[in-house]
Amino acid sequence: MPNYSSKILGNSVSALVAQQALIANTSNNIANVNTPGYTRREIALLNRVDAASVQSSFTFGSGVEVGTVRRITSSFLETAVRDAASRQGMANIANDYLGRIESLFSLTGPQPTIGSTLNDFFSAVNTVAVNPSSIDDRIVMLQRGEELVNAIKTTYNTIAETQTELDNQVPQELQQINDYTRQIASLNDMIQKRKGSNIPAPDEEDQRDALLTKLAEKITFSAAEMENGMMNVSLANGFPLVSGTTARELGFTYTPSFGGATLPPSLEGRTLGYVVYNFGSETSPSHLDLTKTIKGGMGSLGGILQLRGYADVTNTTAFQADGDLVAIATRIEALTRSLLTDVNERYLGPDEDTTAAGLQSSSGDLLGNSPEVFGLFDFDYSGVKDADGDGVPSTADLLSSGMSHFSSYLRFAVTDPQRFAASRDTDTTEGSVAFPAGDGQNAVAVAALKQEVRTLTNGGFSLTGTFDELYSSTVNFVGSTKSRAETDVAVAKASQVSAQSKRDQLSAVSLDEEFANLIKYQKAFQASARIIKTASDMLDQLVALI
Amino acid sequence: MTRISESQFTRSLIEHTANNKARVDKYSEEVATGIKAALPSDSTDAGVISRYKQQLDRIDGYMTTISRVKSFVQFQDDALSQMDELILRAKEIASQGANESLTSSARAFLAEEVFQIREQVIGLGNSSYQGRFVYGGADDDDPPFDAAEYYEPTTGPAAVKYEFDAELGTSQTRPVHITDDVTVTLNTPGDEVFGTTIEALERLGRALSGYATTPASGSPDGGGAAYTFPTDYTQQTADIKHTIDLLNRARDEDILPERTMLGGKMRRLETAEALLSLSKTSAQEVLSKIQNADETESVANLTQAQTALQASYSVTAKALRLTIMDYI
Repeated sequence: MPNYSSKILGNSVSALVAQQALIANTSNNIANVNTPGYTRREIALLNRVDAASVQSSFTFGSGVEVGTVRRITSSFLETAVRDAASRQGMANIANDYLGRIESLFSLTGPQPTIGSTLNDFFSAVNTVAVNPSSIDDRIVMLQRGEELVNAIKTTYNTIAETQTELDNQVPQELQQINDYTRQIASLNDMIQKRKGSNIPAPDEEDQRDALLTKLAEKITFSAAEMENGMMNVSLANGFPLVSGTTARELGFTYTPSFGGATLPPSLEGRTLGYVVYNFGSETSPSHLDLTKTIKGGMGSLGGILQLRGYADVTNTTAFQADGDLVAIATRIEALTRSLLTDVNERYLGPDEDTTAAGLQSSSGDLLGNSPEVFGLFDFDYSGVKDADGDGVPSTADLLSSGMSHFSSYLRFAVTDPQRFAASRDTDTTEGSVAFPAGDGQNAVAVAALKQEVRTLTNGGFSLTGTFDELYSSTVNFVGSTKSRAETDVAVAKASQVSAQSKRDQLSAVSLDEEFANLIKYQKAFQASARIIKTASDMLDQLVALI
Repeated sequence: MTRISESQFTRSLIEHTANNKARVDKYSEEVATGIKAALPSDSTDAGVISRYKQQLDRIDGYMTTISRVKSFVQFQDDALSQMDELILRAKEIASQGANESLTSSARAFLAEEVFQIREQVIGLGNSSYQGRFVYGGADDDDPPFDAAEYYEPTTGPAAVKYEFDAELGTSQTRPVHITDDVTVTLNTPGDEVFGTTIEALERLGRALSGYATTPASGSPDGGGAAYTFPTDYTQQTADIKHTIDLLNRARDEDILPERTMLGGKMRRLETAEALLSLSKTSAQEVLSKIQNADETESVANLTQAQTALQASYSVTAKALRLTIMDYI
């Protein structure tokens, strides 16, 4: 006959141990109720097989055995959380930076915009025509001209500086990405070792999931878990960021091995860096360009690169790069170039002396002088500005200066109110000029430019319309780009909330559940203890018989 | 059964409250500023708003120009309104002087007033507006009528001759834009307005004072000797009579048409101004429709958002107070 007493005691003791293990796990779950990224755990219980009773017709089992700790997680939901984090990282960048740009195109003021100063300037020129010899009106016109130039410079410079700032942020982002991939690789190592010895590693896995989510905020990648528990992380083009225990560091360079001698300029006239992986050595690098791949994805780095724009190494100007900042700056530069060429040309007036070579200006100021080639709007450049010497300010003249852009260097050329050439030559003899003080024909001609339709071009951008139309189309572009970013932020936020909520529904700790479990385990513990008491009473009674 | 975890529960409470708070913020700003599109991304019509803003700026610019041009034209009209009276008085004197019952010395007395009238007319022709000579054409920094001298006499008002300073630009008119496609001419060259009147007054004054003027017609060249009486008495009478014709011509061909033209300009300016303010009103209306917040709608939205926020607060507070620990 089997010894039931020892069986009863053995079963109860195993139960006491099991309930304590369960309560310990519950306590850990409750302790981590507010830990971000914590995945609740369950302890698997197994009924112990009774080896001794196999032959017997009576099988009671041998109590309970504490199995492994299991993380309640779903790789599908974790991926959804990471995708949402990526989307949010990208949307926030676009929204934040475009918000700063957008305020330069305010629809209400009070700060002057290019649009308001453009109108003020041409109106002031028209007012000079009413009373051309009035110094007061000329001073006002000069101020308006300065304001227009300042508005253009401020707007362009803010956009260009934003591009540089974004470019400067890339190395910081890469540093964090490299940190994360390195940590993921070392966690891979730990997990692999523990799993190899059949020891679960839930804490390491939690940490790795948290790191993957952080990495996803920066960059888009795909992650795949191997048989041995290691997680491989790769970019969209298949480049392995983490493979097993190896993390590949991304670098940022302004001198890529795949580029030519001169790299395309940025909006500020510097160069844009490239995100690369160096296959070669420190001294003779061999770079793999990953910029386009990362830019094609999401995450904050994707967002930064998209907004900053990607310049192909074969590009020659800053305006060939893609990205919304470049598109806005391109339009501003188109306006600047038209001020430098069309407006200056109009300001010079028709050719006064057709017998002499080149264009001789037929306009004049109060002191009887004719303006220079870049007489109304000028740019800071030390070389010869009218390169072909034909006296006509042209785009070819601008380009031969070799400057990357003109908006930052724009200057209002007239500083002395008397030197604004409001009048046109009244002397009909060629080669001889006379400028009556009260003549405002030239001012009228310049003011008329505002409403004239012309082709405004820069790089691949071209618009046939008035200055007003160019500005309005720019406002429209900025507005639609920013509101797209806002929508992206809202959508990303919503999808992030929903993904996180679904993940939490499965993986996060519920206090109600834990408390209910706690009571359940406590009751089981009490019951097992009671059984031991019963067994003890039974033994006592048997002993009393002796 | 759906499993609701602690973090999920609090997050959704916080999320809803934050969303409602953001809505309250948005609508309070709308109500406070009255503007719903302050930045380009606030409206899909940003480009249109910008176009209307610029149109309004442009209209304001033209309005300023028009008000300046109007006061300039008004000034010219005021100057010319005095001319009628002066010409009329000169004609009276001329008729009186032409009367052959007057002796040549009596005629000389009349000359004085004629020269005074001439001075007044010269004053009008050389009048300046904001420091610039109105009738100087493009050459408005020196007086259009300069004093010169006759060979005979050498002293007195009859010795002075006024001629139009025909320099470069004096005959030029100055057009200016008052709307995108309407221009008005600001001025008429001085000799076209005052030339004949001044010539007539000069001839009349000299004739009355006893001096002939050469040539007998056209602009005086500074020549002309004293009449010899009684031989030239009839010639003197004829010269005086001739000035009446000249004065009539000055009034009918110069002053009256000029005044009519000024009136026409004024009307064009006023029409342009009315049209501009009309398009300003309509632009403002459109702008207000697409840029300004509808007060009623904004306030209603705000109230609704506030109610929702209140509800979220109350739900959050109540829900977070619930705990299973109270029951175990």
